[in-house]
Amino acid sequence: MNHFPETWGRPRDDVYGPYNHGYLQAPAPNQHTQSPIVTGTSVVAIKFKDGVVIATDNLASYGSLARFTDVKRLRKFNERTVIGFGGDISDMQHLDRLLNSLSIKENYQHDATDEEDTDGFSADNVHTYLSKVMYARRTKFDPLWNHMLVAGLDSDDEPFLASVDLLGTTFSSPSLATGYGAHLAQPIMRKVVPDEDAVDQVTEEQAVKVIKECMKVLFYRDARSLDNYSIAVIKKEGVNLKLDEKLENQSWQFAERIRGYGTQVN
Amino acid sequence: MASILPGAPQEGIGYSFSQAAPNAASEPRQHSFYPYSDNGGTSLGISGTDFTIMAADTRNVSGYSINTRYSPRLYLIGGEGPENKGARIVLSVVGFTADGSALKERLDNIVKMYKYHHGKPMSVSACAQRLSHLLYSKRFFPFYVSAILGGLDEEGKGALYSYDYVGSYEREQCRSAGAASSLIMPFLDNQVNFKNQYQPGSGTGHNLQAVVAEPLPRERVTQLVRDAFTSAVERHIEVGDGLQMMIITKDGVQEKYVELKKD
Amino acid sequence: MGSPFSMNGGACVAMVGKDCVGIACDLRLGMQALTVSNNFPKIFGINDSVYLGLTGLATDVATVSDLFRFKVNMYRLREERNISPDTFANLVSTSLYERRFGPYFVSPVVAGINQTSGKPFICGFDSIGCIDFAKDFIVSGTASDQLFGMCEGLYEPDLGPDELFETLSQALLSAVDRDALSGWGAHVYIIEKDKVTKRLLKGRQD
Repeated sequence: MNHFPETWGRPRDDVYGPYNHGYLQAPAPNQHTQSPIVTGTSVVAIKFKDGVVIATDNLASYGSLARFTDVKRLRKFNERTVIGFGGDISDMQHLDRLLNSLSIKENYQHDATDEEDTDGFSADNVHTYLSKVMYARRTKFDPLWNHMLVAGLDSDDEPFLASVDLLGTTFSSPSLATGYGAHLAQPIMRKVVPDEDAVDQVTEEQAVKVIKECMKVLFYRDARSLDNYSIAVIKKEGVNLKLDEKLENQSWQFAERIRGYGTQVN
Repeated sequence: MASILPGAPQEGIGYSFSQAAPNAASEPRQHSFYPYSDNGGTSLGISGTDFTIMAADTRNVSGYSINTRYSPRLYLIGGEGPENKGARIVLSVVGFTADGSALKERLDNIVKMYKYHHGKPMSVSACAQRLSHLLYSKRFFPFYVSAILGGLDEEGKGALYSYDYVGSYEREQCRSAGAASSLIMPFLDNQVNFKNQYQPGSGTGHNLQAVVAEPLPRERVTQLVRDAFTSAVERHIEVGDGLQMMIITKDGVQEKYVELKKD
Repeated sequence: MGSPFSMNGGACVAMVGKDCVGIACDLRLGMQALTVSNNFPKIFGINDSVYLGLTGLATDVATVSDLFRFKVNMYRLREERNISPDTFANLVSTSLYERRFGPYFVSPVVAGINQTSGKPFICGFDSIGCIDFAKDFIVSGTASDQLFGMCEGLYEPDLGPDELFETLSQALLSAVDRDALSGWGAHVYIIEKDKVTKRLLKGRQD
């Protein structure tokens, strides 16, 4: 025993030989997500009287490069929940893995054949789960760089639509859009559903039509978008998810009237 | 100690470490990520003799975009179950909504656990102090929110507490917080506490008799709240869409909603 | 050092009433948080029926008020009549825009009654001369947020001179009490077609 408490209980070199520091290098600073790399653009969604319609295009961009043109950014969670992802694609895939393990656990706990047993999560539960994940990660200064919309039906089978972003901010509205969609698509959708009361007057056909219109406007004006898209309709009867749709009735007539960009002035 | 440690094991016994365990943190990490945002909105609370009114607009913004026209900023704290049945405390949080709802959930849990452990509801003064501790517990990574807590005190009088975002708090008669607080607060000073008002004909200079502030009746307070918000809506872009009001009395919490301008 | 507009502090407000207008300012002059004078009026008489309020950087308040005294004297000599509030507003605007890329750090307010038409007139400006014609009230200075809240809450159209004085004074006093850089008393002018009433308000001295 000596007078250096720091050395007490440590293996002595004369007994065990000197410690090889090579085994334990000083760890490098943690590499956190500093910015998104491969990204998806807008997600748009709107409520109607029996459910929700949600859509994203199928593009994953690498900066301004249209890198992956067949990436599905809508994910069905169960028969009453679909999630649309915007932002970093690898973070989306990480969240996808989290949601997979969540639904596996959930399916073990609930007997799907039992009518009395509520079949697991409703859309608001999934939204709460995602908001906790996102808020916990931002609090750790290691955010998942996504902005997503959760669309579906709540525990009372009422239409549910809400948003979560990389800061853990959450909000809900009769229509929602992320990214460029918030600027370009929201004004179009808000004409159809200005408030929650208007939702009851909107049919599925109207909702699908306005979503397709929004996807077209976004394709025209958002440079990081594509005319291949995914669209899902969530109703009591289940989810109708179409992953390989093509924009119809495109008209580039308007382009002739655009002036004032590039070399052409006035 | 640190200077003699490396020299100490030189003779005789050798130790498996060459120097004191590193206790300095690794190099400061650089973050381009900013963990806060401002979702706008304004809240307001006024306490009376036997009631407290809490009010907040329902617009949620980021930058110039309106996220939604209806996101409640007033929360019931305590009571039974997820619907907070029978709750007598109202919390309003404005600023960063993600922190706001995290704070609300923490306080709600604490108040519910208090009732579970002690078999009686938490008093507003105790809840107010606990909220201060909650905010201060994140002193070095604060909740970016201005909080106002309202309820009735042990004597049944209206109680109102306001906070800064690291937990300084004070009981007051009236308070506005958030984006348009600078517009509303002087109006409240003038119309609720009668600041700068004197009895007509009471003389000049030191002879002036100030109008004495006394708690206002409920109808008057409700009207003042609506006036304050319609004024703020005119001049502040982050305020509008809807006004949520909660009136706390001994009979419970009554909730009201009025539309505000949506432009 | 913050913005030049908030180094010295100060507040000014103007309101329209029925056949009258009011303009009021605080009296504080500060260097950042330190008050160095409690007698620094920010309203300047242009003639018997036109008044100019200037808030912002005190050195520019002095310079600009002198500049307009000069310009208005020259106008009177050349035209042999008083300048009308609308014309004066345009003079302020063009003079400020002359300094577009090196502005005076002031936020002017003009209030007056047009002697030919008898109509009340108020307007405000940004520091480079963009005019804000308002039908109701104009605010400026470090307490402008507070003044907006007060005026929006207290103002109503077609107030008589006495009611206008009360409304204007309450708005200014309550607003400057919530601004650390304004206060220490006030000047209030109520301008009617053939009469101007100037009142000094004590206000809180802190």
